[in-house]
Amino acid sequence: MKARPLDLAAIGTLLTAFVAGLVVPPDAVQGDLQRIMYVHVPSAWLAYLSFTVTLIGSVAYLRTRSLRWDRLAGASAEVGVVFTGLALATGMIWGKPVWGVWWTWDARLVLTAVMFFIYLGYLALRRSFDDPELRASRSAVLGVIAVLQIPIVHFSVTWWRGLHQPPTVLRPDNPQIDSPLLFALLMSVAAFTVLFAALVSRRSNLAAMQDAAGESESADPTAGAAITPPTVGGTS
Amino acid sequence: MRHQIATLMRFELRDELRGGEVGLVVVPFAVVALLTIPMAVGIDTPLLERIGPGIYWSIIMLFGVLVTQRQSSATPPAARDMLRLAGVDPAARFAATTLATFLLLLAFEIGAGLATVALYSPTLDSWWPLVALLPLAAAGLAMIGTIAGNIVSGLETRTSLVALIVVPIAVPLLLGAAQATEGLRVGAGILRWVLLLAIVDVVLAVAGVLTARPLEESPR
Repeated sequence: MKARPLDLAAIGTLLTAFVAGLVVPPDAVQGDLQRIMYVHVPSAWLAYLSFTVTLIGSVAYLRTRSLRWDRLAGASAEVGVVFTGLALATGMIWGKPVWGVWWTWDARLVLTAVMFFIYLGYLALRRSFDDPELRASRSAVLGVIAVLQIPIVHFSVTWWRGLHQPPTVLRPDNPQIDSPLLFALLMSVAAFTVLFAALVSRRSNLAAMQDAAGESESADPTAGAAITPPTVGGTS
Repeated sequence: MRHQIATLMRFELRDELRGGEVGLVVVPFAVVALLTIPMAVGIDTPLLERIGPGIYWSIIMLFGVLVTQRQSSATPPAARDMLRLAGVDPAARFAATTLATFLLLLAFEIGAGLATVALYSPTLDSWWPLVALLPLAAAGLAMIGTIAGNIVSGLETRTSLVALIVVPIAVPLLLGAAQATEGLRVGAGILRWVLLLAIVDVVLAVAGVLTARPLEESPR
């Protein structure tokens, strides 16, 4: 497999972010435990990014009926599920020493877990079809409806519970984070975003090859295909 | 269009009456679940009174999936083709199945509600808001179930797959209905939760109508 510029960019930015995450000073309150933020925050960002890309791919497929968009939606959802799982796992690892429990019924945690299961269902649906056209149209509809529900899930669980740490970086007046830590965090967000692009691109290409292989398989003659019903007097 | 919806809905309800899947299988199964939960959490009457409404809504959401995926809601491919050739609007088919499911879910909610009152003795400040809550929750679940049923139609893994699709998407319905009932129990305001249920229903109705045609046109 030949490395492409996007793959090399992903590796390069990841290595840079890794080093940045190690060399910046530890947090004054949480110490080294805070470094998990350099994985947790970018993973959570990718969760939202990937599901947005899935929505775009699904809508574009329904409009154009081009399988290219379906493959983009599917690849993005696959990568998104992995990073959503990573965001949940790293959040739990951070939560145990800080909050004293692995899991708490906080709004954003619940929302992330619900998103995780919605897209697990989406991927399970995709795996259930052999026919690419059928898979594309059915999963595009689910892709659209799932994303439509996410803001509603967000509001409902926010009304229900609210415990999560408020935004730290996205405060235009006064970001509550030191510059070196902010630099390392932004570096890791950028690295994860490039990694996402590389993984989605690779997975889309792989899906195209799988579809092509499936088509050539179905074009092959099957055992018994040569046997035809007997004909009498020119009619079957 | 109204005639198509009414005819198809009657057909589904008649089919369900003959089979009795909801009344004879799903409702008793839900009552068994309501019976077994106190055995698991302990026979603490004040606790059961407090958690009864929440358990009721969980049961409605989980067992409601079975109602939405009853055999009478599954149109065989040949029947679908015939309806398509007859010029039946896909949106009319969506509306008919949703309405039939809505009525069955409402009956299911009432049946399970009576069992909850008998087994858990919940005390609510006011019961009349349930007149709005029960139909709003039933409508939302019926629409999610109908859309999901169309998405997975023809698949061998239909029953198990649809549960994984429906339940996470139905989380706002569960929260809205359960929190509104909790509000009735403790005497707090429930307007925001009723509004949440109404918004979910409107979004699902629009999504269901808009996606009916793409699902209908998908190859089988």
